[in-house]
Amino acid sequence: MKTRFLFPYWCRYIGWLLIVIHIPIMALKKMEVGNSFQGYNTGVNTALFTPDHLFFIATALFMAIGLFIVAFSKEKIEDEQISQLRLDSLQWAIYFNYLLLIVILIFSKDGAHILFLNMLIPLAFFIIRFRWKIYQNNRLLRKDENLR
Amino acid sequence: MKNNIRVERAIKNITQADLAELIGVSRQTINTIESNRYVPSTVLALKIAHVFGKPVEEIFMLDETD
Repeated sequence: MKTRFLFPYWCRYIGWLLIVIHIPIMALKKMEVGNSFQGYNTGVNTALFTPDHLFFIATALFMAIGLFIVAFSKEKIEDEQISQLRLDSLQWAIYFNYLLLIVILIFSKDGAHILFLNMLIPLAFFIIRFRWKIYQNNRLLRKDENLR
Repeated sequence: MKNNIRVERAIKNITQADLAELIGVSRQTINTIESNRYVPSTVLALKIAHVFGKPVEEIFMLDETD
């Protein structure tokens, strides 16, 4: 089956690497600045590549790109059932994201964090839902094979 | 939609894995179709019918809810 706009299977490893890389960089930063870490872009420096901005790229953006690649890389056997599952999960992710966004917008005025969450939640929720469904399918398949 | 792929497979004596390989999908896909959790596209239904050498209507039937 022809599938468009998907990364090759091996790309998922790059994706996971980008997600995981976020942890040591974050830990180093925490060690460097201690408990006074206030989040991203707290400085008043307006240059494009300030240390703060580079740190942001190395953590939050790496994570977002990693999630993106993991979410949209091909499965080993890419068939129509998988693409149906992918579409389904995508719909769930968007529903969930907007529900959460609406609730947060009603009860919070913290714009920066909303934007940040909004960047990661649809992808993260999509990956979890998609993987969960694949896991369920595999479990049912094994159960079915054990019956005979 | 109902199907009797399981019966046809038994007649032809092939496993889900064999059928999956013959039509180029995953075993999971065959399994979800057999257990009525996924309705295959026309292309896939035709491919399955082709493997069993029967018309599609003999393998896939509408049920009351369709």
